[in-house]
Amino acid sequence: MNRILLWTAISVGGLLVLTYVGLSIMAGGPKDAIEMVRFALPHMHLGTLKVGDSAPDARLVALDGATRFQIRERAQGRPLVLVFGSFT
Amino acid sequence: MQIYNDYKDHADFLTVYIREAHPTDEWRMKSNEKEKDNVCYAQPKTLEQRIAIANDFTQRFKFPLPFGIDEMSNAANDAYAAWPERLYVVDENGRISYKGGNGPFKYDPKEVQAWLAKRYGEVKHAEKAPEKKS
Repeated sequence: MNRILLWTAISVGGLLVLTYVGLSIMAGGPKDAIEMVRFALPHMHLGTLKVGDSAPDARLVALDGATRFQIRERAQGRPLVLVFGSFT
Repeated sequence: MQIYNDYKDHADFLTVYIREAHPTDEWRMKSNEKEKDNVCYAQPKTLEQRIAIANDFTQRFKFPLPFGIDEMSNAANDAYAAWPERLYVVDENGRISYKGGNGPFKYDPKEVQAWLAKRYGEVKHAEKAPEKKS
């Protein structure tokens, strides 16, 4: 029984170490791996939208800070390419 | 940028600025601190802060695409599962015609380019002449 527990602990520990190493390589370093799990993963979602779904609308603010408009207002009877992102 | 210049006569474009991906108070990236880039911002806590960063971005890079800023409720980001970066094409009927993957690993502007090229034809560019060695 003790042998089974020992090997289970070693296997789980090994998996955790491998996961951490893998995340570190993916994120760019050990510290980045922790920050990625803490700050990035909670905000990263695959989403439920599928090709063919009606595009959702949302209100946006223009660069002047005063004008508001809806995403769908910007489609003028032509395809609308949406580019989501940030500065950093 | 090239895709915008190539197809802006056929399609509308809209950049949506959403919550920061690598702010200084979250997952900070060293590459953002290089003097050349110097893109060091904390995660905006107010809409005014978001507007200020968005204006800095568009002015610094002379960014030509139409631009909108997500409200602090993150409504656009949530609706499109957009963070940290993502591309979509909405067709003339208001339906999703292309959904890109989550950035940075699955963010692929070439897929949008291919969508537009299939619809409107490929835009050819003259190849740059190789620089002469002195």
